[in-house]
Amino acid sequence: MSAVAGGRDGARDTRRPFAVAAALAVLGALAGWALGADYALAQAAFVATWAIAGLGVILVVGQCGQVSLGQGALLGLGAYAQALLALRGVPAPLSLAAAVALAAAGGWLASLPARRLGGLYFAMSTLAFALVVEEALVRWESLTRGAAGLAVPSLALGGWVADTSPAQALVAGVALALAWLACRRWVASRLGRAWRAVREDEVAAAAAGIDVARAKTLAFVLGGGLSGLAGALYAHWIGFVSPEQFGLMLSFELLMLAFIGGARQLAGALWGALVVVALPQAVSLAVERLPPGLAGAAGIETALFGGVLVVLVLLRPGGLAGSR
Amino acid sequence: MSAETLIQVLASGVATGCVYGLVALSFVLIYKATGAVSFMQGELLMLGAFAVLALHEAAGLPLAAAVVLGVAAMAAFGALLERTVLRRTLGPGHLTALLLTFGLGMVMRGAVGAVPAASHAMHRLPLPFAGASVQLGGAALAVEHLAVIAATALLAGALTLFFRRTRAGLALRACSENAGVAALMGVSVPRMHTLAWALGAGLAAVAGVLLAPVTFVHPNMGLVALKAFPAAVLGGMTSLPGALAGGVFLGVVEALAGLALPEGAKDVVPYLLMLAVLLLFPGGFAAGLRGRP
Repeated sequence: MSAVAGGRDGARDTRRPFAVAAALAVLGALAGWALGADYALAQAAFVATWAIAGLGVILVVGQCGQVSLGQGALLGLGAYAQALLALRGVPAPLSLAAAVALAAAGGWLASLPARRLGGLYFAMSTLAFALVVEEALVRWESLTRGAAGLAVPSLALGGWVADTSPAQALVAGVALALAWLACRRWVASRLGRAWRAVREDEVAAAAAGIDVARAKTLAFVLGGGLSGLAGALYAHWIGFVSPEQFGLMLSFELLMLAFIGGARQLAGALWGALVVVALPQAVSLAVERLPPGLAGAAGIETALFGGVLVVLVLLRPGGLAGSR
Repeated sequence: MSAETLIQVLASGVATGCVYGLVALSFVLIYKATGAVSFMQGELLMLGAFAVLALHEAAGLPLAAAVVLGVAAMAAFGALLERTVLRRTLGPGHLTALLLTFGLGMVMRGAVGAVPAASHAMHRLPLPFAGASVQLGGAALAVEHLAVIAATALLAGALTLFFRRTRAGLALRACSENAGVAALMGVSVPRMHTLAWALGAGLAAVAGVLLAPVTFVHPNMGLVALKAFPAAVLGGMTSLPGALAGGVFLGVVEALAGLALPEGAKDVVPYLLMLAVLLLFPGGFAAGLRGRP
């Protein structure tokens, strides 16, 4: 975790996308051949959506170095904003912007304690934020219909409705590309350098004239906006939102996603998203082959995820995209 | 609301709070001694309850022996984890510790959940006093609540003796205060880390056994540990008696909130309290954290 390694983050990201894109194309072709194009494209839409959420986590955790346990709640804010506006017939460009804005505002709110708290104490405050948001979604029944959840209509852009897998994959892919370009700019900018300075040493960063509170707040606002975008798309793909989808577990899953992929690089979001989408599918395929009643699939999936996480932390602390 | 109802609610609040407090205690114990944030205390609690259940129901041991053996086994398991996995990676980074312990917790929860016998039915530990109640004045108090309170008090006493009177306890405290100086005084810091994880796992297992009569034994019972974080924060994060007191306070506040406030408020109150404490007294609490390298 030297300052030198921190300074190289931006440079490494400019070379990575080609390797990542090539690997993804090969993987995508393989998946399309093995599973059928429609299924593979539906999964690709999820991978791209999770990758957007992963970018949000990487800005906050990987770049700015703040432990956030509330990212799942921001995703929930975006998903609910999008679902409620889409149900009321608001056009998608407007509702997507509103979802991003609401989640960004949520990120700003969650980052307020960072002005006074650091490290573990701040992590605890984001945990409290996540649990309060989840409870609010359950209890505000007149708006959210509580634990029963909301059905979400398909994404409609003008007269065009994204209700097939290729259309969904296209929308998610375009959104990911835009988010990626934005993140690359931010990471390579003065703001990105400020984030990495804050991550390495807050006191030194402040001494160098960096407004630490502003850097943290911006990381949360931008990361929250990305989470909101991911949540809004996710709500459309899955077609149904309920509060327990966006609980603390999701926050941890997003942290896992970023960490498995590699929280220091933007490419980590893609790798992490691939693992997070592919692993449950692989497990359910494997469990189908086992004799019935031998073991519960949900339990095996949980254990396997945990195992992957533990092995990565032990053997490759930089994540899949990280340097050895 | 009559005085009797109030007493009953308070008793159940204190009992639940004792469980929160014990989990918070195990969390703070590990955090102070090793600097690692453990997000698997809930899973250790669940595993402890299942270990006792398995020893009693499957292996046919008498309940008392099963409890002692199960808690001892969990302590050994905690030490083993520290020796094999945790020691290799845990440094000052909170995120590494958080993810590693969370991953280990997932493995435990998944492993128990994958066993059909464990996940398909609710289990109860057949404690002799389960379901009974005593009359105290006009109030009917559940014996299991009183038993939880008594057991926690006993455990707190034993821990106080351990930390004040025994060599290992003193060494562990020295290690928590300043590992470098403790090492210069001849304390083996790695062994103290093992001891801290063993104690932490054992305490979580005891909390699991105490929680078993109140809720059922099931793979997700570890979620109760989420309430241990606010308890630890209320107690100042670095104080063992504070963690226990914070837990009891939280249990009582929660019980009273359930009585007086609209439905659902009960679940949010601990976290709002934690936020308030974090924001109002950050200097005092954060000082302990900043002192840590």
